Amino acid sequence: MKKLMIVAALATLPMKAVIGADYTVDPGHTYVSFAINHLGFSTMRGKFNEQSGSLQFDPAAKKAAVMIEIDATSIDTGHAKRDAHLQSPDFLNAVENPTITFTSTSVTWNGNKPATVTGDLTLLGVSKPVTLTITSMNCGPNPFNKKETCGFDATGSIKRTDYGVTYGAPGIGEVLDLQIEFEAVKN
Amino acid sequence: MEQLLARPEMQSAVVPFAVALLAYLVLRKVTATAWLWALLSAFLISAALINGLTISPLTGTRKIILLVIASLFTAALLHWVLSSHNLQRRFTTIICQVAILWVFWTVLGRMNSASMVLFLAGTISLVLMLEWLFVRVVDEPAQLHGAGFSLLLGVGLAATAAASALLGQLALALAAASGGAFLGWVLTGDAQGKQTRQPVAALPYVMAPALLGVAAVIFARLPWYALIPLAAIPLAVGLVPKKAESRFLRALLASLPGLAIALGVAFYIWQTGSSGSGY
Repeated sequence: MKKLMIVAALATLPMKAVIGADYTVDPGHTYVSFAINHLGFSTMRGKFNEQSGSLQFDPAAKKAAVMIEIDATSIDTGHAKRDAHLQSPDFLNAVENPTITFTSTSVTWNGNKPATVTGDLTLLGVSKPVTLTITSMNCGPNPFNKKETCGFDATGSIKRTDYGVTYGAPGIGEVLDLQIEFEAVKN
Repeated sequence: MEQLLARPEMQSAVVPFAVALLAYLVLRKVTATAWLWALLSAFLISAALINGLTISPLTGTRKIILLVIASLFTAALLHWVLSSHNLQRRFTTIICQVAILWVFWTVLGRMNSASMVLFLAGTISLVLMLEWLFVRVVDEPAQLHGAGFSLLLGVGLAATAAASALLGQLALALAAASGGAFLGWVLTGDAQGKQTRQPVAALPYVMAPALLGVAAVIFARLPWYALIPLAAIPLAVGLVPKKAESRFLRALLASLPGLAIALGVAFYIWQTGSSGSGY
């Protein structure tokens, strides 16, 4: 009976897979940017100004998990009218779907550094797997605040029409190149 | 052909206009609600071309498409079930408000209480005003279609100028369908019977502009006050004398005031708002 009560008590505790140390994404040193072909003439670039997230990281055990939330209303292409249009139902439908999320599902390793991160990117309520290639990664104490910090540079691409963003395609490119640079600080 | 049908002007103007005109001419001998079936067939085709046949994920825009289709069905069929004009009017008002709540439920949930009260007060006023004004002109086909066509055109152009081509295209497609059925009436006259003159016939002309107009305010950047002159279109159209001899003259007179308001609002939004193109 006592065992049963202990099991019942444990079942009520919040469960979380322990992967490694917990980190919090530093919004001040995180950049989510994109590039897309504009009518075959040039490459148009933009970024999101608001994002948050978390990282669990244990290079010794080769385990990592990352979750990033992006505020769709913070899109910034350096042109207010275009940003308003990108937030409308033609593209991000940001009022109805204010958050874009990336949640990792698996990581491949090259030595003790992550090489690729595959996860679900949820955009406009549609989740699709995306693989990001890690091009740079370093961990260590921040020389200014002495906090343990990890930084990652990653690239990938998505096909926007897979998420139902069909406006202007294919004139305005269907493939969106993503570039994500982020730092995360150990909790 | 596929490339041709992918063009916005085909999806939102040529196709719905031609389908509605043809459907009206074919159905006018069959049913008194020929214009509603004409609008329904034209909007179904246009919505499929604009949005595709998918409804998942069920976004606010897709809910609007479903509701506009449902309102056209309901308007064409409900007069057989609900004969009381008072009940038809109450039904129109209540069902439009319920539709607005369903479409904007997720957004409402994130509003603070003051914004929510303003939203509800504004949308209830809009629906009541449109319902009352359209019922005043429902007896006269020239005024009903003149007001409906102009209002949808105004909402479509203003939504496009306020940075949503998708909402604009849907409103313009319905405006074009309305124009096609309207032309059918001008060329051939009334469909048989009197059923089209019941208040519930105004349901699509209340629901579609209300949903698309509010969506352009909430999801895009249409200033809320732009809806006031647009909602006054049926009022302006209702002031036009009904006694002109020819259907063509009645149609022309009933369309001009609404068109002037619609184009004026669209031009103002284009000049001051967040345009969806030109960058």
